[in-house]
Amino acid sequence: MTSSSSTTTPSKHAFETRVGDVKAPKSGINALILDYLTKEGYPEAAAKFSKEANLELQQEKTNIKRRREIQHAIHVGDIETAITALNDLDPEILDMEPQLHFSLLRLQLVELIRQCNGGDITPALDFATTKLAPRAAMNSDFLKDLEKTMALLIFPHDSLQPEHAALLHSDLRSKTATEVNEAVLMRQAQGEAALRQLVKMRAWAESAARSKKKDLPERIELGLNGEDNDDYENGHEPMIIST
Amino acid sequence: MARIQSPPILSQIRVARSYSEQVASLRALKDEVVGHVQRKEKWVEQGVLESLIKMLQPNRSPSRLSGKEARDSSGQPKVLTEDELVRLHALQLIASFANGGPPFIAPLHAVDAIPVIASHISSLDQPPQIVLTALRALSNIADAMRLSTPASDGIEFLAETLFVPRYLEALCAILSSDSTAPVVQEQKCLVASLISRLCKQPHHQNSLASTGILDALATMLASFVVARGEVVPTAEILAEADGLAEMIPDPVPQGLELAAVLEAISAIIADSRFRAYMLICSPSIMAVFPSAEFSPPARDTRAAWNALETHGLRDVQVKAQGAIDYLLPLVPVTQPRLLSSHLAQYPPLGSSRENLGQSTPTNKFSPWTSTFESVNNNDTESDDPESPLIPWLIHLVRTTQGLERVMAASVLASLFKAGFASPDREVSFGVLVVPLLCQLIKDCLKEQEKNPSAVKQISSFVERKTAVDWVILERTPAVLARFVADSECLQHAAHDCDALRYACKMLKDTYEPIYNQKAPRPWSPNPDTGGGMGEGLSTCRLGHPGQLPICAHLMRLRESSLKLLAAMIIKDEYHKALIEQDIVPYIVESLTRSPSKPKSSKEKPKSEKKADEPPLPAGGSPYGDNPNSVIIAACHVVRILGRSVRDLRTSLEDHAVAMPIFRLLRDPDTEVQVAACAAVCNLVPEVSPMREPLIEAGIIKVLCEHAHSQDPGLRLNSMWALKHLVWAVDNKTKKQCLEELESGWLVQLITADTEDDALHARTQRRSQDTDEDEDMDSETYDDDDGRSWTWPAMFREPCPAKSASLRTHSPRMQKAEKKLLALRDAEINPIRKARNDDLAIQEQAINFIRNLIGQSMTENVAEMVDYVFDQIGQEKLFEILAGKLRVRVLHPFARRYSTGRDTRVLYPQAKVIEAVIFVLVHIAASKPQHRQLVIAQRDLLKLLEQHFNSKDSGVRLALCHFLTNLVWPDDSSDAAACGQRAQELRKLGFLTRLEALEQEDAELDVRERARSAAFQMKLGND
Repeated sequence: MTSSSSTTTPSKHAFETRVGDVKAPKSGINALILDYLTKEGYPEAAAKFSKEANLELQQEKTNIKRRREIQHAIHVGDIETAITALNDLDPEILDMEPQLHFSLLRLQLVELIRQCNGGDITPALDFATTKLAPRAAMNSDFLKDLEKTMALLIFPHDSLQPEHAALLHSDLRSKTATEVNEAVLMRQAQGEAALRQLVKMRAWAESAARSKKKDLPERIELGLNGEDNDDYENGHEPMIIST
Repeated sequence: MARIQSPPILSQIRVARSYSEQVASLRALKDEVVGHVQRKEKWVEQGVLESLIKMLQPNRSPSRLSGKEARDSSGQPKVLTEDELVRLHALQLIASFANGGPPFIAPLHAVDAIPVIASHISSLDQPPQIVLTALRALSNIADAMRLSTPASDGIEFLAETLFVPRYLEALCAILSSDSTAPVVQEQKCLVASLISRLCKQPHHQNSLASTGILDALATMLASFVVARGEVVPTAEILAEADGLAEMIPDPVPQGLELAAVLEAISAIIADSRFRAYMLICSPSIMAVFPSAEFSPPARDTRAAWNALETHGLRDVQVKAQGAIDYLLPLVPVTQPRLLSSHLAQYPPLGSSRENLGQSTPTNKFSPWTSTFESVNNNDTESDDPESPLIPWLIHLVRTTQGLERVMAASVLASLFKAGFASPDREVSFGVLVVPLLCQLIKDCLKEQEKNPSAVKQISSFVERKTAVDWVILERTPAVLARFVADSECLQHAAHDCDALRYACKMLKDTYEPIYNQKAPRPWSPNPDTGGGMGEGLSTCRLGHPGQLPICAHLMRLRESSLKLLAAMIIKDEYHKALIEQDIVPYIVESLTRSPSKPKSSKEKPKSEKKADEPPLPAGGSPYGDNPNSVIIAACHVVRILGRSVRDLRTSLEDHAVAMPIFRLLRDPDTEVQVAACAAVCNLVPEVSPMREPLIEAGIIKVLCEHAHSQDPGLRLNSMWALKHLVWAVDNKTKKQCLEELESGWLVQLITADTEDDALHARTQRRSQDTDEDEDMDSETYDDDDGRSWTWPAMFREPCPAKSASLRTHSPRMQKAEKKLLALRDAEINPIRKARNDDLAIQEQAINFIRNLIGQSMTENVAEMVDYVFDQIGQEKLFEILAGKLRVRVLHPFARRYSTGRDTRVLYPQAKVIEAVIFVLVHIAASKPQHRQLVIAQRDLLKLLEQHFNSKDSGVRLALCHFLTNLVWPDDSSDAAACGQRAQELRKLGFLTRLEALEQEDAELDVRERARSAAFQMKLGND
């Protein structure tokens, strides 16, 4: 697979011809889509798609829906509801994953602090004392996180250090929501969506290949825009996956 | 925010008037406690467990019914009734409380939770969610019990409760369900993992096998085979013919874990040939893995095999290759028969061949059982082709990772040790399996080095990944040990992979001290909460905090690495490698309950040799408190090291092994005593420098006490040790031994069939009981109630009548069934076991006399002969010896044994005969008078004469010795008498017999001895 001839001609890189030769079976793609819809929590879409593609549903609709509800509750900052729903869906999970429980409780603390902005801070203090402080004593990471969060009570919210400001950003909610979703899926022996894994694998493979100086085109497109008209949309930097 | 103190919920639960109210308050309680250990403690102290259990009672008062539930009868199976919802939440809460760890076990016991939970696992009358939650609760309880101290008690209790016919049926039903629903898969995983954690005792293993659970697991395994697309080609056609067509399962549904299935199978099989064969001939396994010849469509595959054959690297006559073999790399067989015959070179000092199975408790009697089994081997096995399950498992080991790899290897080890792998496989294991296992250990150790904080986490919470790594590290050495223990070639392979060094490293690592063995407590805003302990009702009182997971892990690792050490040093040449690792101090510390810092021999003060030094109080050693399993494993290592004279005199002596072992002889646990006794066997022979100090410390008294024990294993090993002890000591000590043992008891040991009688008495009693009451307990051997055990798989549902009849008539199935029954009989039959126990002890007791009157340190041997005559009675001794040479019938009128193969006719056993003859050899060796005494025993001599054509060369050899001694003239005064004796013997036909041996015997040694005996006899005659 040498591509010495391609130095001058703008013709296709050997890698790309190889990519072009690969024919992904339609059924595999369909399964991948259904997997994504199921795991990311789109029950209706999953149901419709499965009918259309003539596939069996991976999970019961209710299961997907309940996960979605938990996600939703976290996204809107109603952590108490989320915890109740989570306990209902899988009563073991918070026992088994103290890290996850801590994240949720800390998010709840953040929400409480947000609510009492400027006003009475007793509810937040009480909550921190009874629910978070006992755990912080057992784990130094928890302690650090708790201290960081408690700093929000002291500093005015409009002039925070970036690391503190991050706590009030909605990213924390969505990050926690993803954590919860993945933990639930793990407990159901399912793991994250296959598509996410594939994306990660692609990023890893590309960087591994580059570090070994394999012969690759400078940019590898994700190919999301269907045609090969390069350079516009994506793929300028190697993918960075944050989880 | 709600304060922690919220008894309103509790009272709501207690007085709730309707189910829906109850459900609501249970939900609230769940949000309260899940994930909060402190609050769990508080709630338990307020007595919540009792209320929860009350809700689970089968007949709750109907007054609470809140009007008729409308939905339940509407044919919607998935919606739970309100009553069921209450149960579900109550079970979830109990499961969550059990997650709190060991302190919660005591209150759960106090409210008698386990039977109540267990009554919810029947999938026939409970909805799947409830079954699942009940299983989870049990599983969490089992986990907590594994951390409480001592762990074995709780686990044992749980196993006894759960493994009774009622629940076994429920478990079996869960495992055989063919639903693909995720809930069911989760149930199956939980059942499998419960089995692997609880099933430790042989009687449980047998009942799990006999009730079809092993078959159900085998079917699950077969469905993995199908899913991997590795069913043997043509299997379907072959299955059709045997009526097994329905037995090829569907591919495994998503959510079932292969490792869990394999682990459960391995836990059930353990070290039993019967159960191993049951797996192999389980219908689904037979259906997917018929032994069929296979020629691959691609010629070049075959070409490689042919190339090996032409170069003589493979036995040409080797049976045809099955399809699965082509999945494995070629393994040239270069050293043809290095294999498996080596152990015979070692004289069995102490009851040999320890059972290295996971926690199978004893090492008793194994030499005997193995002889019996080998008899069985010969007649059934030769024509039996190896099941493709074996190569498939090798393939599985090679293609899986981590936990699955260990568990696949564990099952494979069981099948290999049970002798179901073809002999050539040994080489394959050496290159395909052993290196992978060593690599696993190496990888795990490397992982730990990279991440040392995870290794020493002082926390009651362990991350899942770490937990898996721990299990791999705990299990792999033990599995490896089982592979290599009996195989020189595999030991060599493991050695090449540095297994010994890893074992030493692991053992040393477990002696890194952990000073703080208490899990950090959660901080509490009101610190007075801890005061409640020790007061109040037992149902509200929390128990002992138990061990940290890391400590429990280190103990299991210690046990496992000791097992590997023991297996790696069977051969003398590896001892040196072991000693170089300077590991002996660690082994010595593993012999004590509360170890201290292992010291090298130079640091060890000589004063420590005091025997009466009190053992350290248990609890809280920073090096961990060794449980029985570790101590037993360490005893085993000492026993094996003790086989080497060099080690006895150097390393073992330098590290003062004798005294810790001596202390263990007085350990409260019988199994530990048995193991210590086995080690003592090798510490007290003549060559050992530890013999004197041990005698001074009073070992004779202790051993003689043990010889009176109820436990047959302890009787055997203590007699064994005494036998070694009395060889070549001074007459005074010899006499002391006999005195201490009591001659009457010695006679009793030789003549009485203690175990057999006890068993007989038990069955008699039981048969009277069962006449009135048909309810048998699960442990009984079902042959008692009318030889009723049948192979459940033979008639398993679902199967159309046609295949059932095909199946019963298929020669393959019939053969399998016959062999299975034979193996079962050989193994489970309590009569056989009792008889073997008795015989083994009798042999040792006779050998004790043999050594008693054998070589003495200084004095006259004849004095000891006279002493024994005096103590036992001359005539009586001869009568006892003669009795051992006769065929006997036991309990001739017992109705249960009057038919069938179990009529108790007892043929004299070669080992016993040999021992008897050697006693006579020694008597004949002492002085002329004694020879005269022997020659006067006409009956005895006649009996002896019958044994000239014994199959056992040892017996024939002993006879030659005996005759030589008998016609040996001490001095001229004895010459006349000697001639007379020779005359007598000739008359009895002994000379002809000798001459026949001289001419025809297969053994050179026997021929030579016979020649000299015959020569002596003719000489005396002239």
